[in-house]
Amino acid sequence: MLTQYRQAIDTHRQRIFSFAHYSLRTREDAEDVTQEVFIKLWQHWQKFDHGKLGGWLMRVAHNAVIDHVRKHKNASQIDDYAEVDAQGQEHDVARERDSQAFQQGLLSAIKSLDDPFRAIIILRDIQGASYAEIRETLDMSESQVKVYLHRGRRKLRANPQLRQLFDANVAQAAESQAG
Amino acid sequence: MNSNSDSQCYFVQLQIDSYLDGELGSTQKDSFMAHVQACQDCARELHFAQTLHDAVLELPLLDCEESALEPIHRLTEGKQVDAAETPRSLWQRLTDLFALTPGYARYAMTAAAVAVLAVMLSPYLQDQTQGPQVANTPVQAGVPPEYSPEDVQQALQELALAIDYLNDISERTEVMIGDRFLITPLQDSLNASFERARSRRQDRLQDDPI
Repeated sequence: MLTQYRQAIDTHRQRIFSFAHYSLRTREDAEDVTQEVFIKLWQHWQKFDHGKLGGWLMRVAHNAVIDHVRKHKNASQIDDYAEVDAQGQEHDVARERDSQAFQQGLLSAIKSLDDPFRAIIILRDIQGASYAEIRETLDMSESQVKVYLHRGRRKLRANPQLRQLFDANVAQAAESQAG
Repeated sequence: MNSNSDSQCYFVQLQIDSYLDGELGSTQKDSFMAHVQACQDCARELHFAQTLHDAVLELPLLDCEESALEPIHRLTEGKQVDAAETPRSLWQRLTDLFALTPGYARYAMTAAAVAVLAVMLSPYLQDQTQGPQVANTPVQAGVPPEYSPEDVQQALQELALAIDYLNDISERTEVMIGDRFLITPLQDSLNASFERARSRRQDRLQDDPI
């Protein structure tokens, strides 16, 4: 059992932690949620269908994130984006997106989305989960998932800070081209 | 921009996400692209949406520090330690020992334990039944025994009954040794036996004129 449990942690820790980190404000919050999820996995090891482990874990993580957001709604915390920036530097992003400010604005915009828009964008666009997996995790139909995904993306595009940063980057790119 | 154009832009912008996900049919896609190429606002909106979408897609999966999982490892290791290393109580060990012992050996062990206990407890019980004066009397060689052979035989029979009783109890409950089932009935049985023996002796002394 212990070996299987540790294998499950190794397999799913990135997804759980990423989901929590992109949903919550600080790394410590994400670590708390990750710990909570895996402790629940240990406590319920005998009780659930191990064929659906991934979906079960994501459901627990989603619930834990919602609880965490509720508990810390009024807490003033400093956003922790340094980690994301450091790990994101390995990726070759386009010019506008290469701006640190744009990425920070994007992370902030994702975190500020309400549930389930935030959860669906993280699961689908960042983690690449299928509609079926998201449906199972969030207990909604696939058509609902698609509707929420598109609405969530539109909400992101409606974020004035992101729009402003994008416009600035485009203007800068045009200037450098002209120059 | 007239109202017809506005409504076209509205519908095209509604389709942006389907376009980004590759979910538009070929006809829809042609119509969509034709409008975007002709409309600067929609082209700009598509560019923004594409940029944002790509940026989200390229956000990396993050991993937590190993130290964040330490409490979980401690939890699992703690369980292992609890299961493997926690010392078992004497009673648990005795129960395990008896569980592993064949049935006939259990009864033999029980009988032997009762006999040993009877031997160990008999002087104490004898002292109690005879009172402090008798207990303080020095034992002298050649003094006749206090109990007749019949009394001893009777006591032994009652002791055997007590052993049977205890065996029945231990067979039913699988609890072989314990104060509740062994010491108390044995003590009661021996007390009753000695009490009866003493009363018989007193009766004999009363009946005897000398």
